[in-house]
Amino acid sequence: MRKYFAALRKEWLLLIRDKAGLALLFIMPLVLIVISSLMQEFGWSSVTKDPMIPILFVDNDMDSLGINIKKGFISSQSFDVIEKINNIPVTEATAKAAVARGDYLIAIVVPKGTTKTIRSNVRVMVAKTLAGFGMFDPALLDNIKLKDTVNVTVYFDPTVKRAFKNALISSIKANNYKVETEMIFRSFNQELSIQMPAYQPPNVSYHEVLQFREEYPSFRKRELIPNTVQHNVPAWTIFAMFFIVIPFTQSLIREREEGSLFRLGTMPVPYMNLVMAKVGMYLFVCLLQTVFMLLGGMLLLPVFGLPMLDLGSDFIALVLMTLMVAMAAVGYGLMVGTISKTHQQAAAFGSISVIILSAMGGLWVPIYLMPPFMKTVSQLSPMNWAISGYYNIFLRGGSIVNILPEVFRLFIFFLMTILVSSIYRKIKSPFNA
Amino acid sequence: MPDSPIIQIRDLTKVYKGAEEPAIKGLSLDIFRHEIFGLLGPNGAGKTTTISILCGLFKPTMGHVTIDGLDIHADIKEIKQIIGVVPQDIALYPTLTARENLTFFGNMYGLHGKPLREKINHFLSEFGLEKHSGKLIAKYSGGMKRRVNLIAGLLHDPKVIFLDEPTVGIDVQSRVEILNYLKKINQEGTTIIYTSHYMEEAENLCTRVAIIDQGSIISLGNPKGLVAEHPEFKNLESIFIHLTGKEMRDWT
Repeated sequence: MRKYFAALRKEWLLLIRDKAGLALLFIMPLVLIVISSLMQEFGWSSVTKDPMIPILFVDNDMDSLGINIKKGFISSQSFDVIEKINNIPVTEATAKAAVARGDYLIAIVVPKGTTKTIRSNVRVMVAKTLAGFGMFDPALLDNIKLKDTVNVTVYFDPTVKRAFKNALISSIKANNYKVETEMIFRSFNQELSIQMPAYQPPNVSYHEVLQFREEYPSFRKRELIPNTVQHNVPAWTIFAMFFIVIPFTQSLIREREEGSLFRLGTMPVPYMNLVMAKVGMYLFVCLLQTVFMLLGGMLLLPVFGLPMLDLGSDFIALVLMTLMVAMAAVGYGLMVGTISKTHQQAAAFGSISVIILSAMGGLWVPIYLMPPFMKTVSQLSPMNWAISGYYNIFLRGGSIVNILPEVFRLFIFFLMTILVSSIYRKIKSPFNA
Repeated sequence: MPDSPIIQIRDLTKVYKGAEEPAIKGLSLDIFRHEIFGLLGPNGAGKTTTISILCGLFKPTMGHVTIDGLDIHADIKEIKQIIGVVPQDIALYPTLTARENLTFFGNMYGLHGKPLREKINHFLSEFGLEKHSGKLIAKYSGGMKRRVNLIAGLLHDPKVIFLDEPTVGIDVQSRVEILNYLKKINQEGTTIIYTSHYMEEAENLCTRVAIIDQGSIISLGNPKGLVAEHPEFKNLESIFIHLTGKEMRDWT
């Protein structure tokens, strides 16, 4: 045991003197968390508390539709409706130019007479309907034609995503339907009052029956609001933990290449003792990384105006999950370091494989956005199991029971990496550089 | 002739996987206590393979080896406790200080605490390194690194020490210091097995030498005796060239 602790101390000294390695392990992922959270706050948080998206609005209609569309955008609390730039009212031409320059992402132009056209068409349709009751002479109505459709023009910056475009157009259409419905209702009442003087229009206004209520079901009673921080902190922490593949493999290979391992091979100390000291030290580093990242999520991110990380309600589940991810990451580092022959091989394969596994595992792009084939493939990445486990704790308020499948998978992965490393070591002497 | 054999090698053969020729072919040799034994040969002759087997790094394909009566297969842990190895490469951690390196390697031999500290202080003082013991190895000169490399193999007072070209690439002062120290510990009872390409150094230092080539011993004896046996050659180097040929051996 004394030899193990001596080897552990040596690993510690080597690690703390590797300033570049420390920056790679601690500073880089924290910077990534801050940058990614700030960048994604716009897109990701659209499901919760939106930042106001500036939208240029040109209302040439100045009637019901234009007013209702504007009212709809304002009441959604998602859009900052801008009708003037530098105190000058926006026109279609200036709006189009502003979007073309990239100053604004979206501009909406409601043309003059839009409501009038809708109203006119509604009246015709109502009259034609009432003609069926003998209230109008159908022969007279035959000569009245419906007016052509009118176009509400929406100018989009090319970077605006399709899903967002669809949502915006749906919102405009919804306002249009509301206006049209009200017009039809009003028109019927008006015509019935003219045709049947005894008719008393009801004093009611149309209201939407169907309402939507948003909830985020979780394992605990307190509601958790998903946000970029709840995703980015665990995602980049997992990435950082797996990125120890670089310093870990470098440490293994350097020892081999510089001859220290040759010397150690001639000493009365088992190879497994030395390797386990490395594993122990890097496990400690992973746990330290997690503490560092979580503290960053709780203390640093709010400084940048981002939400504070919510650690969930089960601390033991968090510790267990972190330990399993750390073991999987260290096991992976050991396997890559054992199999790689040179620094270059380990650095190239290690970093690229971690990037692939993280992208595949949903650390960069949420799994639900992936095509079906990729969704299946993503299940193979240990980082997917890791992020799923953290989601269960951070977003769904899960406890140990809820993370057991992920814990089991990660532990099996760790055992597999140790097994592969041991078999490879048996085949090839570790003291043979 | 010195005392009883401390190392007995019988019919030692090593064939690497995929190799057509064995690296060592039925090598048999006795090395006696208190000897400074030189293992000489061109590149690829089998010196490093022989030493690696004696140190327990490789398993032989065939043959039998005992060190101080301990069997290389059955008692390798005990053997590792009584041997010291000084590799040709500077097998130290560059980002640790000399003292940290020596403490770690001492710990690996089971040494701890005050006895280890005293031992390290003694060796650092002996080799003129005590003032630099807190410096990182990366900042040491080549000669200083060689001296620490040697100390790391001596910390546990081994009965047998294997030295693989311990003086390669260093200044004359460091070389003299190292060779003098080796003579001193040999007189105190340590058996030394030494490989080198410096024939003159081997001729002056070794009590016996074996010239090996293509995995077999082609000459064995006292350096002065070998020179006497070949009066047509003036020194060990000429005999070596005569026996192993003039062609380059760049492969290992």
